[in-house]
Amino acid sequence: MAAPEATTAPAPTPRRRWVPRIALSQELVLFLAIVALFVVVGAINPRFVAERNLQSIFLGNAYIAVAAIGMSMVIISGNIDISVGSLIGVLATVSGTLAVAGVPIILSWIIPVLLSIAFTTTMGAMVAYLRIPSIVVSLGFLSILKGGLIVATGGAWINALPDGFQLAQMKPLGIPMPIYFMVILTIAAALWMRLSATGRSIYAVGGNAEAARLSGISRERTVVKVFAIHGFFVGIAALLYATQLAIIQSTVPPNLELTIITASVVGGVSILGGTGTVVGSTLAAVLLAAIGSSLIFINVSPYWLRAVQGVLILVTVLADMWRRMRQARGRGR
Amino acid sequence: MSDTTAPRMRLTVTHELVLLIALFVSLAVLSVTAERFMSVGNLLNQGRLMTEVALVALPMTFIIITAGIDLSVGSMFGLSAIMLGVFWHNLGVPLPAAMALALVVGTAAGFFNGLLITRLRVPPLIMTLATLALYRGLAEGISQARSVRGYPEWFFVLGQGEVLGVPTQLWILVVAIIIFWIVLSRTTFGRSLYAIGHNETAARYSAIKVDRIKLIIYSLSGFMSGLAGVIFVSRVSTTRSDMGTGLELDVIAAVVLGGTSIFGGVGTIAGTVLGFTLIQLLKNGLALTGVKGDATIVVIGTVLILSILITNFLQHRRGGDG
Amino acid sequence: MSDPILKLAGISKSFPGVRALSDITFDVRTAEVHALLGENGAGKSTLIKIMSGVYQPDEGVMTLDGGTVAFNSPQEAQDRGIATIYQELLLFPELTVAENIFMGHAPKNRFGAIDWSTMREEARKLLASLDIHDLDVTSMVGTLSVGNRQRVEIAKALSHNARILIMDEPTAALTEHDVERLFGIVRLLRSRGVGVVYISHRLEEVFLLADRVTVLRDGEFVATKPVSETDHDGLIEMMVGRRLDALFPKTEAPLGDVVLELENVSRQPLTKNVSLKLRAGEILGIAGLVGAGRSELAEVIFGMTPAESGTIRIDGKNVKIGSPSAAKKLGIAYVPEDRGRQGLVRPMRLAENVSLASLGRISQGGFLNRQSEATLARKSIDQFRVRASGIDQIVSKLSGGNQQKIGLSKWLATEPRILIMDEPTRGIDVGAKAEIHRMMSELAQEGMAIIMISSELPEVLGMSDRILVMRGGRVVAEVDRADATQESLAASMMSDAAASMAVAAE
Repeated sequence: MAAPEATTAPAPTPRRRWVPRIALSQELVLFLAIVALFVVVGAINPRFVAERNLQSIFLGNAYIAVAAIGMSMVIISGNIDISVGSLIGVLATVSGTLAVAGVPIILSWIIPVLLSIAFTTTMGAMVAYLRIPSIVVSLGFLSILKGGLIVATGGAWINALPDGFQLAQMKPLGIPMPIYFMVILTIAAALWMRLSATGRSIYAVGGNAEAARLSGISRERTVVKVFAIHGFFVGIAALLYATQLAIIQSTVPPNLELTIITASVVGGVSILGGTGTVVGSTLAAVLLAAIGSSLIFINVSPYWLRAVQGVLILVTVLADMWRRMRQARGRGR
Repeated sequence: MSDTTAPRMRLTVTHELVLLIALFVSLAVLSVTAERFMSVGNLLNQGRLMTEVALVALPMTFIIITAGIDLSVGSMFGLSAIMLGVFWHNLGVPLPAAMALALVVGTAAGFFNGLLITRLRVPPLIMTLATLALYRGLAEGISQARSVRGYPEWFFVLGQGEVLGVPTQLWILVVAIIIFWIVLSRTTFGRSLYAIGHNETAARYSAIKVDRIKLIIYSLSGFMSGLAGVIFVSRVSTTRSDMGTGLELDVIAAVVLGGTSIFGGVGTIAGTVLGFTLIQLLKNGLALTGVKGDATIVVIGTVLILSILITNFLQHRRGGDG
Repeated sequence: MSDPILKLAGISKSFPGVRALSDITFDVRTAEVHALLGENGAGKSTLIKIMSGVYQPDEGVMTLDGGTVAFNSPQEAQDRGIATIYQELLLFPELTVAENIFMGHAPKNRFGAIDWSTMREEARKLLASLDIHDLDVTSMVGTLSVGNRQRVEIAKALSHNARILIMDEPTAALTEHDVERLFGIVRLLRSRGVGVVYISHRLEEVFLLADRVTVLRDGEFVATKPVSETDHDGLIEMMVGRRLDALFPKTEAPLGDVVLELENVSRQPLTKNVSLKLRAGEILGIAGLVGAGRSELAEVIFGMTPAESGTIRIDGKNVKIGSPSAAKKLGIAYVPEDRGRQGLVRPMRLAENVSLASLGRISQGGFLNRQSEATLARKSIDQFRVRASGIDQIVSKLSGGNQQKIGLSKWLATEPRILIMDEPTRGIDVGAKAEIHRMMSELAQEGMAIIMISSELPEVLGMSDRILVMRGGRVVAEVDRADATQESLAASMMSDAAASMAVAAE
């Protein structure tokens, strides 16, 4: 019926709409948070903003940001990958082993990336075609990778890496390589998500799978593609991780998957799928790293870091739920 | 298919049967290949080692049957363990009271999960992912990663002692299994869990108190994690903040391996018991045959994925009821 | 008038247990608006799903431009120029207007990437061609009003060069202003040669907009007529037809005391100041269009969405019903409309479903008594003549009518005094329908107070002692059985729409 009570609010005028949209943009909030953090902590302890510390924040965490790009895409499509930490550990070891074995360095960089893509594509196919929930598939692979790594290496570290292997230590034009990777890949991924047909279909599948189907988008193929691309970013992340030190520890960094997922979620990627940006996840990765580093400079024990991370995820998720509830109410449902 | 048999019943029975056969095969193989395996001493000791995962897997079965999940169990486990040490060592609370308080902490942590999941409709995966970080962070922050030692001798009875020749915690586990089994298969509460897992909306329309039930099972998950944490402290004589890291994966693997469907509505305690027993025996057997300790998780991962594939395959052949 | 573009002849379609369409004839011409009318369950949705490629007909021929066609997917129909706008809009809230319009067929540049600026430009042109100038193609669809979203859907359909546009109840959720704009757009499309199939419950819209009208009833073709040759009453008669009263054997039961009383009960958004009285032994029918607030009222009484204001009395005592379990304790039962989603846990066994709302009655101290559960289930099977292989049969394997019986017996097992039934016989076969009506009659005889929500006027008229008509969340009419006719009920169900239509027409 056309009774006026049963209707939603009229479309807001463009002028009124844009102010809240900017204010609610996750990217902006994160960016301001980063700036505020640097200003405040820098004022308390100037050594925090010294070049050395800034470099260590960005260098040591760029690989997390890169992995979070792929993770964000996976989450936007309505899935999750909790095996990513173990995968990075395995790929780093593969890369180092190849280099030590005398394989040309360029191949020892590329092969792990290809392996990564092959691996995550398999995972995506299992999720898409066999309809096994991604959390179960990746849980299984987490065990296999983690255990396999220890079996294969016996926990031994790889050292005596050949010269020229440490990609992450290179500094073209005085700027460390990981920063190039982080910035370029973030921009490329953001553009791709925004401009390519596949990029848009990821949002479509995660947001409204049924509508996507009626628009002629295949959920299965999109999910496989997302996992394949995710594999590329994980491969690059593993490469940066493998080449940042003179040795490669063959253990998986503890809780790495959680840190990566945290970056994605805090970056504004809704776990219910369908929304989020990769710029946000990269900013969130930087913010998380900066918070971790700042605790030391303001004399708070770094052991509180994880609690801060937990609160951040919780706040982000609650804000997301609140936004969704409001939106649902706005539709008059 | 004959119309008289319930496919769901048959399916779970089949899955459990497969597990049971797998269990006997691995027992047979291991007893031949590893001579120390089949001794009573070894088997009881394996029961001791298995208890923590097993205790947490019981409420996890309930949760996954309702189509939920709890990723924060390892952190609640660690937080309870830390709080035991803090209450006793730092705050001077008598140890029995500290143990009780540790259980309260675990329960409260689970209650908080349940509260936000039911009141704000946060998806369980995300809610417990957040508290996985939060509770671990609290454990690390509160303890400053310092361990607590020097517990009195009587405390170790729980984790290292024996009653009538059987490890103390195995008695606790057996009692817990019986209670959870009865609750799931014989009570209105258990029936409601299945209904919620299959169709939460219909359960609500049937006047089932869905939110209250969820609150109870997430709190229960916290309580059992806390209990497992206390037992673990007693077993290893010390408290550390990283205790229970990754526990959620072992627990979920055991439950899913036991035939509980991640989509909800399907699962039994018997299956879960078979699941964690099989995992522990595989771990032990492989260790005895010379495979390095951590390598056994490769097998667990493989078994997990294979069991899901087989279940999927069976469901497809039956024409898929869901 | 021009030749038909799309022609359907002898179309039939059955679903397990139900014959949804039989021998339907229908056609669409260029530059016309062809209205499709019928009550709920008349087969309108099935017919448009066949035209748009969602379903394939069991029998019959579909021709497009003179050639026989068979669509295997919505995609194929779309490619041949048939676009459908469903009631539930299929848009992506997080994507922009332009992206939604071109979802699946975005203009690409020579590198294979989306040509962003062309896409925006095309989207702008499309909207402008529909005389829509106030919609920013870069805004997120999630921020738009329902009316604007619908405009996006129309533009999306046209981006596929649609020659036939099927609209399923497009005005159901619109404001008056939006309805007016929609009519403008539909007329514009017609003038451009598009054939529009327009489905609506509102007769007034048909007279304002349509050139021809086709009426379906119970899955059968009644007639196709030029709108100029018909009138309001004539259409209603065609829609409701004449049916056997023998199907609805409500016997006179002695009415008892008032059991349930509502006074000015409200709950946003669709329950407004509702007052009613219900006596023991009475069947109170509630009629109204879809979206009139009937199920919402039931959910308020059942505590699913508790009342925000007003008084509810049971046996004259004020009560607060805050949850379904509170309602159950007060002796209220609700058999919801959507069996699969709300009524039953279909993957569970028959016995488990029957006992689900009365677990307390088949248990001691929380422990289930399987014996009493089995007894209960067997009793239900006998009482309702449920055709099942046994109490262990999985409910999803039962036919619709038998499922409905299980849904009803589940609530009767709680021994309620007040029974609310929402569309009790929708989508079930005639035999099961009669049995459910017989059950209702018997229950009333035994003193049960029954509220029956139904969209089928013959059912309402046949079964009810008294009838309330709802519209826009309010009770707008109360009629005794003796005074009610299908025409008078239909008129009061729709009259508000008539009023607002008149406004829109000006």
